[in-house]
Amino acid sequence: MSFTIATTLDDALAALAAGARPVAGGTDLVVGARHGKAPLPEHLVAIDRIAELKTVTETADGVSIGALVSHHQIETHPLLTTAYAGLADGSALVGSPATRHIGTLGGNIMNASPAMDTGAPLAVMLAEVELRSVRGTRRVPIEALWSAPGRTGAEPDELCVAVHIPAPDPRANTAYVRLEYRRAMEIAVVGAAAFVALADDGTIAALRVGLTAVAPTIFTGNLLGQVGRSVADAAAAAAALSMEHSTPISDVRASEAYRRHTVGVMARRAVEAAARRAAGETIAIPVNRAIGIGAAS
Amino acid sequence: MTATPTATKPAPRFVRADGPDKVTGSGRYTADLTLTGALAAKFKYADVTHARITKLDVSAARAMPGVFAVLTQADVPSVKFGPFVQDRTLFADGTVRFEGEIIAAVAAVDAATADRAVAAIVVEYSPLPVVNDIEGALAADSPLVHAEWADYGSILVRDRNDASFASIAKGDVEQGLASSHLVVTSRYVADGCHAAPIEPRAVVAQWEGNKVTIWTSTQVPFDARAGVCETLELPNNRVRIIVPHLGGGFGGKCGFHYEAHVAALARVAKRPVRLVFSRREEFVAPDRRREGIVYEFHTGVDADGRIVARKAWLAIDNGAYTADAGFFSQLAAMHALGPYRIPNALAEAHLVYTNHQPSGSVRAPTAPQTCWALESHTDEVARAIGLDPVAFRTLNAVDTGAEGPSGQTYGEIGVQQCIEAAAAGAGYGNPLPDDEAIGVAIGWWPSFSVPSGAYVKIDGDGSGQIITGAQECGTGAVMTLRQLAADELGMDPEDFELVYQDTSVAPYDMGATGSQTLFNNGRAVVAAAGQIAEQLRNLAADRLEASPADIVLADGTASVAGSPDRGVPIAELAGIAAGGELLIGHGSGMPPGPPPTVGSTCVGDLGMSAWVAPQFSCHAVRVKLDRDTGVARVMHVSAAHDSGTIINPIGAQGQVEGAVLMGIGQALTEGTTYDDQGRQRNAALLEYKLQTAADAPPIAVHFVEINTPDAGPRGAKGLAEAPNVATAAAISNALAQLVGAPVRQLPMTAERVWTALTEQAAQS
Ligand SMILES: Cc1cc2nc3c(=O)[nH]c(=O)nc-3n(C[C@H](O)[C@H](O)[C@H](O)COP(=O)(O)OP(=O)(O)OC[C@H]3O[C@@H](n4cnc5c(N)ncnc54)[C@H](O)[C@@H]3O)c2cc1C
Repeated sequence: MSFTIATTLDDALAALAAGARPVAGGTDLVVGARHGKAPLPEHLVAIDRIAELKTVTETADGVSIGALVSHHQIETHPLLTTAYAGLADGSALVGSPATRHIGTLGGNIMNASPAMDTGAPLAVMLAEVELRSVRGTRRVPIEALWSAPGRTGAEPDELCVAVHIPAPDPRANTAYVRLEYRRAMEIAVVGAAAFVALADDGTIAALRVGLTAVAPTIFTGNLLGQVGRSVADAAAAAAALSMEHSTPISDVRASEAYRRHTVGVMARRAVEAAARRAAGETIAIPVNRAIGIGAAS
Repeated sequence: MTATPTATKPAPRFVRADGPDKVTGSGRYTADLTLTGALAAKFKYADVTHARITKLDVSAARAMPGVFAVLTQADVPSVKFGPFVQDRTLFADGTVRFEGEIIAAVAAVDAATADRAVAAIVVEYSPLPVVNDIEGALAADSPLVHAEWADYGSILVRDRNDASFASIAKGDVEQGLASSHLVVTSRYVADGCHAAPIEPRAVVAQWEGNKVTIWTSTQVPFDARAGVCETLELPNNRVRIIVPHLGGGFGGKCGFHYEAHVAALARVAKRPVRLVFSRREEFVAPDRRREGIVYEFHTGVDADGRIVARKAWLAIDNGAYTADAGFFSQLAAMHALGPYRIPNALAEAHLVYTNHQPSGSVRAPTAPQTCWALESHTDEVARAIGLDPVAFRTLNAVDTGAEGPSGQTYGEIGVQQCIEAAAAGAGYGNPLPDDEAIGVAIGWWPSFSVPSGAYVKIDGDGSGQIITGAQECGTGAVMTLRQLAADELGMDPEDFELVYQDTSVAPYDMGATGSQTLFNNGRAVVAAAGQIAEQLRNLAADRLEASPADIVLADGTASVAGSPDRGVPIAELAGIAAGGELLIGHGSGMPPGPPPTVGSTCVGDLGMSAWVAPQFSCHAVRVKLDRDTGVARVMHVSAAHDSGTIINPIGAQGQVEGAVLMGIGQALTEGTTYDDQGRQRNAALLEYKLQTAADAPPIAVHFVEINTPDAGPRGAKGLAEAPNVATAAAISNALAQLVGAPVRQLPMTAERVWTALTEQAAQS
């Protein structure tokens, strides 16, 4: 058993190459180990002090978010809470204030839980994940990263260093909503994200929907058939398609039938909220608290 | 000079002596204690729910390095215990009956070694049929949870899996129902749930010679001592129970738990031993889980909506062993009839063995779920006869001078005022959006009149100590004792320190249970302080050349009535006393006896059918429903309570707020689910959903302070449990309006609400 602390990216990559597993905030890894989900890895490298992975950078084609950016940074970031609002919706729902300050975006993605809250919004934004190792760097479309619950296609020596999101068109935006039974310390029973681009006449120009906790991994659908239709029609279609393509399980949180029904409701609400944002309206982060379930009033 | 505005009365100070310790982290809890050489204890649990043990081999565990003791039932006295039915042993005795049953206990040099030793214990089972269904367990052909039930010692009315039967009968219920204008019949099912205190329990035991000191997170130190003495066959005066700060209990830490296991380990290991529970153990092992109950009601009313007759049938989940749940059948029967005028009543309640975790007192045992079921049924009755739910309750609820369902006639009570105040506080009757509704429910709860004792002393410097057997579990009731002593002696609450939670120092008290601390220990403290007051009056009379009867104790001074300038500081009198007869008072006071009942008969009577100084409440709750998902949100709670005089307003407010939030959890998210073997499926805080601060709605609290006969000190009753009674019921009645039909299973989870909505849609 070994535990080292990396202060530079190179240190971290070297440790990974030598067989260590990274720990960022530890809110999945350490909490999971304590609950007997999986024992702590033999060799751990703490990456939480690598400053260069903690920044949010606006680029020519969008935004790059360092793997160590916390959910709290995301839910309060001026750019992310406006142009990439669906991601901020997701981060703002994570756990409690403490979890959001410690938990990182990289940890959320690489933990690969089908119930993670940033996955569906990032997927509908066509985000790419940058993986780096001592062998080099590659970029993977985020949806292709997850292979099974808790599994990614990253090699053991690869570190997630950043997530890159393409800039949305001026009349496009995103929203993420989840079904939750209480307003903090919750986990998504089901969730849905939508990316909506509007044509000048207010009809749908592009629509993608991503679904949380209704399949072994988060998955998206590109609803090409809705182009040119009204937001209301598209939202209804998104609901129906989401119910149809989900393969939810029954467990102590919800039955299969209830999950299938509510994922449709979430998809419809995500499309409606994303469309309102795309039309220029500001809906407070997270959508869950602004409208519908868990709303403040 | 400008006139100063009229000064508003300063908010009363919250006398909470343990507050700074807890807030700053300087307070010590049981798990914080370290003793030199202390070992770690771990238990081997059954994990299966009903089986005969065919092999139990601890030799490998005993042989492991670092293991100091491994105990099974063979290593402790062969004692069957239980407050109502002696159906239990410290360790499994040949048969296991629920997943959290303890097979063996290990003490080892550290927790990891103890875990390895537990894993090395070999147990083999021959399975027995699992009793997993409360009603099914009452069937004549049901497998028995205790084949030897008939041989157990008990004071209860029992039959096979029925561990405690109780009934309350008044008038002629069949005749009453037959003559009613209409009869409404309903069935409701409440799932079990948990106390879930923030501190998982811990026990530390250390022997010195033939005496043992046990630090434990219990709500009832004297009960814990009794359990240790009974099972380890020790006299009371060789067992000392000390409770450091307690991280909440909610009833879950009542009763006798693992103190004897840890003491037995420490005796064999010849070292101090420390047990600290994990959250999962806290969910699965203790015999203190709120009981699931199945209900059937028939209520008949006349054409004006007056109740003519009510019949109630209840099957209560006892779980595998009978902890203090023995009295639940009679208590639940009272709650199933409710605080109503009912000329013809019959309630029959069975406490049923299953292979679930044993039930036990959790905050207002049997009441929140029974109130939920009865009050949901009551709204069905009101709707059927065409009366507004508030009007129906005003018409039928008991009142001062009225006779209740068990034949008790009430002195001054405030239930009607509670109904009025709660409805007004909720804005009942005002228009609401289509997705919101206000539900109303009334509830009641006894005051428990029991023996209790305290000492008060004042030292030479004028500072005081209250040495009490009472236990503080977070309610602040013990803190309020300082206020009572101070008022009696004309001193300041801050002049007193509390010495408490040590069975070898203070006289007996029942503990933080039954909302009884202020009622009974308050009486004891007032009596003890009264003795000192008399001493002070005599001393002052000497000094001031007045009659003791004319001495007034106020503001830290003893003075002559009518001449406030003729006075002497109490501290000065204390100095005089320190050189002569010391200022020491002891008090207990006679607990008021039970009120009479007329015209009713009770089978399985345990004295619960008539209540001294009963408490009443009405909650009116505004709920918003997301009809697409079934997710309900509580928007506002208006809670009105008759708990007698409110002595500590801030503490009282806190009790109501906390209990209401607990009630919201019970209503919507907190419920234990079992697998087909009777094992808990959600024994963790992620899947067992407590409410969070983010879920808390505004809570408006109104106290109806009336002059209750036979109440506790200064007319106080109690308040720890009563506010937990009516919340879930009121939420149910709001939801029923929004759904169009009641949600008949508790908790009314989002999925259950959605299912009810779907069924309604299919019918219309
Ligand atoms: C109380 C509580 C509530 C929570 N609520 C939510 C919630 O509502 N929604 C939600 O989605 N999640 C929730 N979580 C889970 C968790 O907080 C988030 O997934 C968080 O983003 C994980 O980040 P971390 O930095 O703590 O990850 P860690 O635990 O440090 O790591 C998680 C996994 O990712 C790997 N990893 C971490 N960083 C990298 C990297 N840069 N490159 C490669 N691999 C990496 C680790 O090796 C590990 O396998 C909750 C957790 C807790 C304890």
